[in-house]
Amino acid sequence: MKKITHFIAAAALLTSTLTGCDKKLDVEPLNNAPTEKALLTSADVEAALIGTYDALQSRRLYAGQIQFMSELLADAGELSFVGTYAQPGEAFRKSLLVNNAFVANTWTESYRLINTANSVLANISKVETAKRDRVEGEAKFLRAITYFELVRLYARDWNDGNPQANLGVPLVLTPTETIDASAQVSRNTVAEVYTQVIQDLTDAEAKIPTSNGVFATKYSASGFLARIYLQQSRYADAAAAASRTIASGKVLVAYADEFTTTTNTTEDIFAVQITAQDALNELTTYFSTLGRSDVEIQPQHLALYEAGDARRAFFKTSGGVVYTRKFDQPYGNVKVMRLAEMYLTRAEANFRSGTTTGATPLADINQIRSRAGLAPLTTLTLANILKERHLELAFEGFRLGDIKRNKENVGTISYNSTRLVYPIPQRELDTNRSLKQNEGYN
Amino acid sequence: MKQKPLLILIWCLLLATVAWAQNRTITGKVSGPEGTGLPGVTILERGTTNGTSSNADGDYSLAVKPGATLVISSIGFESQTVAIGSSSTLNVTLKSNATELNEAVVVGYGTQSKADLTGSVTQLSGREVQNAPVPSFEQAIQGKAAGVFIETSSGKVGQGIKVRVRGTSSVSGGTQPLYVVDGIPIISDDQSGTSAPTNPIADLNPNDIESISVLKDASASAIYGSRASNGVVLITTRRGKAGATRFSLGFQTGTSKPTNKRDFLNAQQYVELFREAAAYTQAHAQTTAEQSQIATTEARLQRYSAGNTAYQTGAINADWQDEAFQRAPFSQYDLNASGGNDKTKFYISGLYSKQNGILIGNKFEKIAARLNLDHKATDKLTLGVNLGLTRTVNNRISNDNAFSTPMQIVSLAPITPIIDPRTNRPSGALDTLTGLPNTNYPTYYNPYLNYIGSTYTTTSYRVLGNVYAQYDLFKGLSFRSELGMDLLNQDEYQYQGRVTARNSGFANNGTAFNRHVTNGRYTTNNFFTYRSTFASDHTVEAVLGMSYEERRINANSLSAQQFASDAYKQIVSAAAITAGSSTSTGSSLLSYFGRVNYAYASRYLLSLSARVDGSSRFGINERYGFFPAVSVGWVVTEEEFLKNQTVLSFLKPRISIGSTGNQDFSDFASLGLYAGDAGYVGTPGQRPFQLANPNLKWETTTQTDVGLEAGFLDGRISIEVDLYRKLTKDLALNVNVPGTSGFTTQFRNVGNLENEGVEFGLNTRNLVGDFTWSTNFNLSANRNKITNLQGQVIEGGFLNRAVEGQPIGVFYGREYAGVNPDNGDALYYLNRVDENGNTYIDHSAGTTNNYDAANRVVLGNPNPKWTGGITNTFTFKGLDLGFTFQGVFGNKIYDGGGKFFSGSASNGYDNQTIDQLNRWRKPGDITNVPEARLNRANGTGESSRYLYDGAYVRLKTLTFGYTLPSSLMKYARMQSVRVFFNAVNLLTFTKYKGWDPEVNADYLSSTNNGTTTSSANISQGNSFYTAPQARTMTFGINVGF
Repeated sequence: MKKITHFIAAAALLTSTLTGCDKKLDVEPLNNAPTEKALLTSADVEAALIGTYDALQSRRLYAGQIQFMSELLADAGELSFVGTYAQPGEAFRKSLLVNNAFVANTWTESYRLINTANSVLANISKVETAKRDRVEGEAKFLRAITYFELVRLYARDWNDGNPQANLGVPLVLTPTETIDASAQVSRNTVAEVYTQVIQDLTDAEAKIPTSNGVFATKYSASGFLARIYLQQSRYADAAAAASRTIASGKVLVAYADEFTTTTNTTEDIFAVQITAQDALNELTTYFSTLGRSDVEIQPQHLALYEAGDARRAFFKTSGGVVYTRKFDQPYGNVKVMRLAEMYLTRAEANFRSGTTTGATPLADINQIRSRAGLAPLTTLTLANILKERHLELAFEGFRLGDIKRNKENVGTISYNSTRLVYPIPQRELDTNRSLKQNEGYN
Repeated sequence: MKQKPLLILIWCLLLATVAWAQNRTITGKVSGPEGTGLPGVTILERGTTNGTSSNADGDYSLAVKPGATLVISSIGFESQTVAIGSSSTLNVTLKSNATELNEAVVVGYGTQSKADLTGSVTQLSGREVQNAPVPSFEQAIQGKAAGVFIETSSGKVGQGIKVRVRGTSSVSGGTQPLYVVDGIPIISDDQSGTSAPTNPIADLNPNDIESISVLKDASASAIYGSRASNGVVLITTRRGKAGATRFSLGFQTGTSKPTNKRDFLNAQQYVELFREAAAYTQAHAQTTAEQSQIATTEARLQRYSAGNTAYQTGAINADWQDEAFQRAPFSQYDLNASGGNDKTKFYISGLYSKQNGILIGNKFEKIAARLNLDHKATDKLTLGVNLGLTRTVNNRISNDNAFSTPMQIVSLAPITPIIDPRTNRPSGALDTLTGLPNTNYPTYYNPYLNYIGSTYTTTSYRVLGNVYAQYDLFKGLSFRSELGMDLLNQDEYQYQGRVTARNSGFANNGTAFNRHVTNGRYTTNNFFTYRSTFASDHTVEAVLGMSYEERRINANSLSAQQFASDAYKQIVSAAAITAGSSTSTGSSLLSYFGRVNYAYASRYLLSLSARVDGSSRFGINERYGFFPAVSVGWVVTEEEFLKNQTVLSFLKPRISIGSTGNQDFSDFASLGLYAGDAGYVGTPGQRPFQLANPNLKWETTTQTDVGLEAGFLDGRISIEVDLYRKLTKDLALNVNVPGTSGFTTQFRNVGNLENEGVEFGLNTRNLVGDFTWSTNFNLSANRNKITNLQGQVIEGGFLNRAVEGQPIGVFYGREYAGVNPDNGDALYYLNRVDENGNTYIDHSAGTTNNYDAANRVVLGNPNPKWTGGITNTFTFKGLDLGFTFQGVFGNKIYDGGGKFFSGSASNGYDNQTIDQLNRWRKPGDITNVPEARLNRANGTGESSRYLYDGAYVRLKTLTFGYTLPSSLMKYARMQSVRVFFNAVNLLTFTKYKGWDPEVNADYLSSTNNGTTTSSANISQGNSFYTAPQARTMTFGINVGF
């Protein structure tokens, strides 16, 4: 009987030992880090900032689709999309469907970036003091330029109706921890989004140093401010911001050199970095003969160039079809902002406001012309400036914004046609009842 | 433990006394009901440990004390207890345990007699799988268990096998049953580094299996809690019996062939058809290039004809399909020994088998060893060990969708010679202009080059074992503790040599891939078992215990290129490492379980069981799940009013209801996670990766089962009928969330689905006596319906989808309407859309030649409506014959390769099936095959054109054996000799036009757990160059001594 007692005791002990293993159910993931342990140190938050750049490098965003799709929407016969993908085809025909996957993915990837940036900003106090301003500035910079692209693509332009009333995109400024009713965000107005973007960029310009490797600099922020003020027709502000950016000491390089290097040139103010190991230049994918050769350049575009324009020489003919050579570097960086844009912006802004902040419009335009191997102009019209801008920045994602702020037409389609605005993706409307679809879509 | 030497001394004395007292020898013969001698019967002197077993003739001899009583017992027979009196000869005839009602059925954490069972359990004897010439035992029980649908994806050996117990109960989670070997849940999920699944169950030696128990309803399976929704398969391995050591030696050899080949065009037909197709395209040219299509095609034909003009005469007529197959020998050697005394019993076995697949380069090799040992340390304490060691080597071939998979060889043109006359090497191996493999000859990459130039070997070492101790505390109550380990070490090595350059890359100079997985888990079960009868009529059985299980999977992989020559294949010799990775994942499960069975007078039966499962996979708010079940049964034949009749020998209605769970989704799906993969040009970075769902829990299935078991004419006829309904809720799915959150999906419990069905089983012993004939028949129907996916539609396969209101995997697409007799256009039915936006078939809407204009409609169901099997067994003297027909009815199969090889030469230059010769040629032609229009995709869009009836009846297994007369054995000093012939997939009856109706394209059926987005459950019933099943025939011999 004693043995039995012993045995029962042993069995009870064994059982109770094992039942005490409730904690054993907390298994730590090893391939990934639990959210609550991901952002504890300064290095953690800095790594999340790098993750925000990684998000920007998505092919849905600045690795190319934002620029590519807007060029297709803006085109009125200067190029031809001949690819087999349905989604760019819809943009080219100005008949986007609400379930267009490119449109949906640019939206979700943008907010993925914004959420990552928000995570950095929510934990900014953990960053070492010496780095804190820079990290905060970069996160705000990345968030701002993404919101700027979103509001330009998915909402009516600043110059189209009343931006105080027109619906922009939802402003989400805190990281998502759970999905509850608060995830059912509604659209802020266009003006609210611009205000947030300008505030973030102003902070960024103040906080990021002038030199910051391949990452965003003070001048990247001021350059984007110039771009945004120009979109809002705030010419004096745009000229001033462009001037601050030009003061960076960046210099124009030979036109061909700008597009045949795989690293940043001295002209680049901000570029998305691409290497053989990391990401793909989506503009190469669609525009280049090294990619899918999906975009054929039409005579209507080629006819715009003056004789002797170095930029006219930057095309190639293959099988009787003309392609641009701007994106013939498969692992070349995606140029988001070049010094040339700043000259063009300052020239236009100064010209329109009758000022000469930094330089005269004529001097700025002639900088661009002489780099293209063209004779300097002696007199200047707005049309000169806009044409120079059109050719210099062709296929780089500027055309749609320029058409809208200048209230031009795309063929027979008016600048304010709903067909030139992305729909709010169907998947968003399906998951968020607070969102309102854009006009022209249902 | 001081008293131990004393105990031993006492034992020794006792034994000595026994030995001294054995002063008489009893001899006799044990016969079965048919009068023939029964070998292997245990004869035990009651109250002692003195015993023996009968020889091949049933003869025995045993020295006993005067006045002893013998207990004579054997599995499948009723035991007898006989007092020997004064005689020295005792012949005994054992009655067959005919209805098998007293058969012990293995259930969760115990056994129960079949008569007392109130749950739905199908138990199969190990005999059903013994010596089956298949890599894994599941293939040997196809068609033998009601409600269990088993399907091998193709004739590739070592591949995953689909097992569905009572339908598919999950949309994105696991759907395979839980496998438990000797009480320990084992690794049974896909371990493949490719998207084609492998089957770790194949590591078991079928000849070691004593019994297979499939727990089907909640009453039987709820004790396995959160892993039981897909059913539970309990495998018990063989154990030694007291008596002389018995050896069994087996050898088997044979060969496999494909069950079917398809007919393709010969050289002349091919040239004729493609010239015709080119002529159409030139006549209707849409581009400048097409204006010279005839000349272009002629140049192509010449290129595919090794650059010569032999194609014009049909001088070269290659049957490429034959090149996909190889001579496929099978051989197996196995030896086992078992025996022991009353204190220690053992079973040891070894097996070596080598099975070549029917496809070139495919092989499965297995070495398996097992030791099962039981030792009675005291009369209260039993200790034991079950240990299985296995090494398998699987020479794998590419996935069905790879150019390099052998079956895709059928795409090559019959005008292409097997051996290129320009080089005397296999076509495609060498381009004399470059010295490298050809780039555009033959039509596609020649899969034969993979056979000669590449390897893909999966080697796994498996240790599966457990130790146990069982202590009888007092009468009726015992405690058992088990500790089990399952360790699977798997190494995958792939090398693609230079000759495969067209497939693997011309700049690679050899491509290697190595992946290693260590998948280990340990389990401990600790439980009390109590059994007692009170006041003669109240029987109580109870089980109460806990278990803990921990699982960890570590994997790493390396990819490399640039080898000095194909003589160097290991990555140590590679000049460029192109990728590398290591991952780790794991989970733990803490459980408490219990069961009480109560029987009143063997008449009224009640069973209650429950399990509480705590899992690391569940969200922090839902850590523990509770899975109860209750069942009742009534043995009507125990009632007085049925005692005086002889027709009905047994009648038991039973009802059960209970809930089970499914937690077969990825390990950390409930956690909020960051991923460290967000580097930016060399600087490491991290990003939010997954939203936390602290409420994530198991999928719950509530199952109701109503069953009836009946026996007639003293058990000569027995039937078992079950009706069941399984309602599954909280399906775990990736649910779309607002993208503005920074995430697109969250893994949540949202959906519902249901399965309902009926199972019918019939066992009859038609003839008894010298000539016996027995029949086992089963038939099952299951209806699956998804009732709630929150409006989502999940697509898979070619046309499969999961959508509310339809069975999982339903085929949804455009309906082919044949050919316009006026112009040869492929037509599709427009069909209609109702006011809710749902489409439906209505041929009055007319047809269209515009594929995009046709509405997509529900076309059919990949899930069989009915499955069943019939097994007949005959014995006469030493002869035995058994065969099983298996049937599958009411399902459709989509042939995804049809658009390429049955596309009336309207796609590429793929060779075509012979039926494409029926193409439309002139106005008025009535045919189903559209006009041949090269590159015009006339009718080749995915549609019901390639959807076929998948029903079949198959002679699945056949065994014919002859056991040599025991009179001969005496001289040879052997117990028994049996020679046999085995066959698998001998005959098939089907209307299916493809290779084989038992099919599921492997790359679509990956069950690899760890992702939350697998569409494998949805992608059912597809073929894509999927190999036919193997028809295997073997001869063998088993010798017992």
